[in-house]
Amino acid sequence: MAFSLKYLDALAVVSISFATALLCEAISWLLIYRTSSYKSLRQSIDRASKKLDMLKSPSNKSASNSKKLDRVETSLKESTRDLSLAKFKSGGVVAGVLIVVFGLLNSMFEGKVVAKLPFEPIPFVRKMSHRGLHGTDWTDCSMVFLYFLCSISIRTNLQKYLGFAPPRAAAGAGLFPMPDQKMN
Amino acid sequence: MKKPRSNKAPAKQAQQQPNGTSDSKLAKFLDPNSSWDKDKLLDTLYWIRQAIGLFCGLLWGAIPLVGAIWIVLFVAISTGTVYWVYSQRLNIDEEEFGGHGAILQEGFFASFTLFLLCWILVYSLVHF
Repeated sequence: MAFSLKYLDALAVVSISFATALLCEAISWLLIYRTSSYKSLRQSIDRASKKLDMLKSPSNKSASNSKKLDRVETSLKESTRDLSLAKFKSGGVVAGVLIVVFGLLNSMFEGKVVAKLPFEPIPFVRKMSHRGLHGTDWTDCSMVFLYFLCSISIRTNLQKYLGFAPPRAAAGAGLFPMPDQKMN
Repeated sequence: MKKPRSNKAPAKQAQQQPNGTSDSKLAKFLDPNSSWDKDKLLDTLYWIRQAIGLFCGLLWGAIPLVGAIWIVLFVAISTGTVYWVYSQRLNIDEEEFGGHGAILQEGFFASFTLFLLCWILVYSLVHF
């Protein structure tokens, strides 16, 4: 099985994405995660969400509890809003880095097939996976699609591993990560 | 599909267990009666899902398996395994953790993109 490493560019895209993810998390740590205000905000959110879970559990349903429930919910909403505001600063810098790196990758791999897809993508995916490529071989993969896959899987897992992922109670992470999650 | 939950009573006893018992993380993970708090359970299932995504991506790419049908198979394997882990293996009452939907979508999109990335990467590098 002699392989000619025809698609070594794919490795280049993945390693650049990995380095970018590390850089973005380092910036976020420098600007936000190590500050005491962020840490205290994070603790109050965790405390509030645990209290909320306890109050919401079926075992203690009473009038006085529902008042307490409302109070805890509002305090959770406030801390969550403060958390997003606090992240806004580092989010701007990180967004700048992502745009610069994307521009760099675009200039390096414009019109180049960086990888081969082991499946025929649906038209919706083709717009991204075949962007800037010639011909109609839909299994050719452009840098944009690979970079998209890298940035979602690598950054999300890196944030989770480093403990920078937003708290569940705040993000209410649905099937897709919240847009603002992409910013930090 | 309401199964009698045997998890409630033992979970209470598990808490009174003296902390001295040095049950390692793995033993705790495999012990169906150990008590789980929401974040710990969802984090564990999150990392299980990422491991499945990584493993399937590398395997599909190495063989290679070609065709969109294998994406469907991956989603089935990944979701089935997570379901088996929390409902059969850990005896978790899903109501306490936000229902099947909340548990099953934990880390799904990250593992799906990780799977695609590994599949494409290995397929491109090894077979061309």
